[in-house]
Amino acid sequence: MEKTMDETIVKTNNMWKQVLDQVQGWSRLNSPWAVHFNSGSCNGCDIEILATLTPRYDVERFGIKLKGSPRHADVLIATGPVTRQARERLLRVYEQMPAPKFVVAVGTCSISGGAFLGCYNCLGGIDQVIPVDVFIPGCPPRPEAVIDGIVQLLTALKSGTYKAPQKPLVVQENWL
Amino acid sequence: MNEELTLQQAETLLAPYNKETLHPEPNRLDVVVTSDDLHAAVTALHDAKWGYLCAITGLDNGPEANQMEALYHFAQDSAITTLRVRAPRSAEASVPTIADIIPPAVFFERELHEMLGFDVKGLSDSSRLFLPDDFPADLYPMRTDYKQDQPVPVVEVVPDLVPDEPTKIGNRFIVPIGPQHPALKEPGHFEFTVDGEIVTGGRMRLGYAHRGIEKAAESRNWFQNLYLFERVCGICSHIHATAYCQGVEKLAHVEVPARAQAIRELVSGLERIHSHLLWLGVAAHEAGFDTLFMYSWRDRETVMNILESLTGNRVHYSANVLGGVKFDVNLEQIKTIREGLDYLEGRVNHYLQVATTDAMLLQRTRGIGTINREEAELYGLVGPTARASGVVRDIRVEAPYGAYTTFPVTAVTDTAGDLEARMIVRLKEMLVTCASLRTILDNLPVGDLTTRMPRKVPAGETISRVEAPRGELFYFIKSDGTENPARVHLRTPSICNWTSVLEKAVGAQLADIPMMIAGMDPCFSCNDRLVTVVRPNESHTWSWRELRDYGIEHYKSSMNKGK
Amino acid sequence: MNILSSLFALLIFPAGLTILVGGLFYEWIDRKLVARLQNRVGPRWFQPLADIVKLFSKEEIEPPTMTAFLFFLLPIVAISGSLAAGLYVPMLGLKPSSSFPGDLVVTLYLLSLMTLCMGLAGWNMTSRFSLVGATRALTQLCAYEAPFLLALLGPALAAGSWQISEVNAYASQHWMILTQPVGFVVALIGLMGKLELPPFDAPEAETEIVAGALTEYSGRGLAFFNLGKSVELIVGLTLVSAFYLGGINSLPAFFIKTIALLGLTALLQTLLTRLRIDQTVGLWWRYGAVLALVQIGVMMVWR
Repeated sequence: MEKTMDETIVKTNNMWKQVLDQVQGWSRLNSPWAVHFNSGSCNGCDIEILATLTPRYDVERFGIKLKGSPRHADVLIATGPVTRQARERLLRVYEQMPAPKFVVAVGTCSISGGAFLGCYNCLGGIDQVIPVDVFIPGCPPRPEAVIDGIVQLLTALKSGTYKAPQKPLVVQENWL
Repeated sequence: MNEELTLQQAETLLAPYNKETLHPEPNRLDVVVTSDDLHAAVTALHDAKWGYLCAITGLDNGPEANQMEALYHFAQDSAITTLRVRAPRSAEASVPTIADIIPPAVFFERELHEMLGFDVKGLSDSSRLFLPDDFPADLYPMRTDYKQDQPVPVVEVVPDLVPDEPTKIGNRFIVPIGPQHPALKEPGHFEFTVDGEIVTGGRMRLGYAHRGIEKAAESRNWFQNLYLFERVCGICSHIHATAYCQGVEKLAHVEVPARAQAIRELVSGLERIHSHLLWLGVAAHEAGFDTLFMYSWRDRETVMNILESLTGNRVHYSANVLGGVKFDVNLEQIKTIREGLDYLEGRVNHYLQVATTDAMLLQRTRGIGTINREEAELYGLVGPTARASGVVRDIRVEAPYGAYTTFPVTAVTDTAGDLEARMIVRLKEMLVTCASLRTILDNLPVGDLTTRMPRKVPAGETISRVEAPRGELFYFIKSDGTENPARVHLRTPSICNWTSVLEKAVGAQLADIPMMIAGMDPCFSCNDRLVTVVRPNESHTWSWRELRDYGIEHYKSSMNKGK
Repeated sequence: MNILSSLFALLIFPAGLTILVGGLFYEWIDRKLVARLQNRVGPRWFQPLADIVKLFSKEEIEPPTMTAFLFFLLPIVAISGSLAAGLYVPMLGLKPSSSFPGDLVVTLYLLSLMTLCMGLAGWNMTSRFSLVGATRALTQLCAYEAPFLLALLGPALAAGSWQISEVNAYASQHWMILTQPVGFVVALIGLMGKLELPPFDAPEAETEIVAGALTEYSGRGLAFFNLGKSVELIVGLTLVSAFYLGGINSLPAFFIKTIALLGLTALLQTLLTRLRIDQTVGLWWRYGAVLALVQIGVMMVWR
């Protein structure tokens, strides 16, 4: 008798947990608040990101809101090849975001340094500094591509195929 | 020709200091002066009101020649006089500062100092301009012996969750701020000293978007560099490409066909429209009017569509190739462009009405940041910021390039010199541009789109000046006859306009600063903006967002208190 | 029995859960209307709910504060204040679940509790820029509180009572938007200031929630503050529409009147950037406050 009681309690707990997890997952999928960071880009990607807020694309439909404080955001949308001055700030912003957090690197520069690969003041990509979940190539990618990238992230989260990226290696001296 | 006379004038003025004269191009006069005579030479030009200082280029002629040069470029309409100061390549290569005569020179001299190692005597502020503070002090990136891929130590950063320290009375501390708004802002670190609400002093730190493009250009060939220079700025990418192509084409003695020139001007005009609409939205957002931001960017999509149908991309059109343009314009596209222009003209007229009659907007713009004509000339302002103060500084008019000789434009000016004037100038410029684009479409010259370019560009130096949406863009290109450029120096318009903010900030209200900065339409990539507000007892750093919101709040609460 | 029914009223209906849901619904209407006016599509109906649930499920980072327990306490107090205020207004067209003479003052105080808590929250942070944001929040509070109070005082005096339910009953016979139009305008704009709707800095626009004060909050604390704002929205709308738009006595009346008022504020949110205000509003405040006072004087004499 007791055993079945325990079992029932455990089952109910599990059920609750499942329900709560589902609700949690649903809310995260439908309310991805973003913070934007430019680590030294030419502005091209940034204006396309900004354009996603405007009437033609209107990402508020998807629940995406651009917030000013990293503490309020779930997704970091980063552009630029990461200049030396920007590196520390990028790290800070990432650390300030509460978990669960995701990083979207927009533009070719943020993936590989783009046109600025090899420049003396550029690190060559966001993933040199923080772990990146989504890479959106393009110079710059269209606003639709930016939205699509974020949707792909959300879909991966929803279907459970999402895998957290590796943390980048700690930057050594004489990194170039 | 007018140019000859103007140059002769300059030559006469500089006769006492002239050590050597060169004429690298028909419209240019190079005068070699010693560093001791530099100050006097500049004074001579300045007192005679011969032109204005465009840029200061530093050249490193290499360890064998053991020579560095500092080039001071002055332009009067299409004539350019360059004062060349030669110095040995030692650590003590020095030139005197000319910032006491020409205040905006301070930015150019700081760049000269940190990039090449010139010791500029008397420079009031020799802190880092573009390079990061932790860049080693004796490394000068633009020297020829600085290898681009040589290791530069990176300071190890331990990010902590305790970014702030408690204020100490009288001590300054920096609060590291994460990125703020999506709205574009220049990556400057500003420091404003305030007394109550009034600003008593201002300083600025740039460089957050400094990528080292000039150095990279030296290791890529002429064709690869086109791709690179387009990406100096996403908003005005075509004009950078045009300036670069023009310069290289001049060096190679290549004449671009008329149809290609016209198409270049067409894309330039469309870019100007897109840039000004972008600015309108951003300025509206800075003032707290998101509705105007949404509307103007919605209208901007019309231009983006046109650009995409013409060139294949919304941003970074890559319209130019060395020697011409990549694509042609067919009848259907012309029809689309005309429809778009009609729509845009209607919208811009509406925004013009809003800008001149909307009380809330006027409160943020009328009478704020006023710069009169003398000040505009003294500060060396360029672009719409200068034209709003009555200074007719527009390269398309003063020194027409490309198709602007065939399809001229009129410069739009205003006399008020305040933020409202700057807004009106930009809006009217859009209307002028629409009209000129129609003229081009009506009279597109027939012909080729490109012409042949040599792989190796003959040795020489050239200066290419164009009018970007934000003002004069200045390219100095030097070739040594190989496949790669020896030196490309570019001076973007925004750096000339910073003085307008810093000087005018003194005496202004803190709440007006965000709009004043927006008013000069800064074009650097947006990072974050730190503003240090220094009060008598303490100082702390605000984020840009805070300063912006402070401005918005200030005006709202002043409304409510029945100001 | 009394306690149980009070608890039920406070936690489930008509305050508590009901206002929470109602607040989220009204927040959605507001965002949707503003979006449509800005020529956009706007959020989906469940968006505010998703936002809140997501915030609850986020990690809560505790930033360095001067007094640690305040960091956790203040959001709870803020939302409690707003929820408690809902007890005294005719929510959903029903009689207020609690009512006593003078509850108008109590309600107004409870509504300001949110802003006070935000101010304290900003002050509590060791980062000084939160303090600046807090200072501004409190300054704004001082700017709007007096006109808003005066504007609600008018109908109260006309009804001859400080009790919301009595004013509501009186208002059902007298549409005070007609007899005290100035008061209505002042109340409307004061409400927008209180709720920090644009152009008085919206919590839901791109800009921050009163710049700075809440920057360091994440997760649960932020969720509570946001929820509190939504609750304030619906309670504030109920109060103003009850007083000026002819009282709220039935469910349909509740929805029609409060949503009409919300539509008006949404319109103002997007239009106020285009209307001529500046000095005119300054004059309005002077006129508004003076006229309101004059009206009150006249009414006192008249009675």
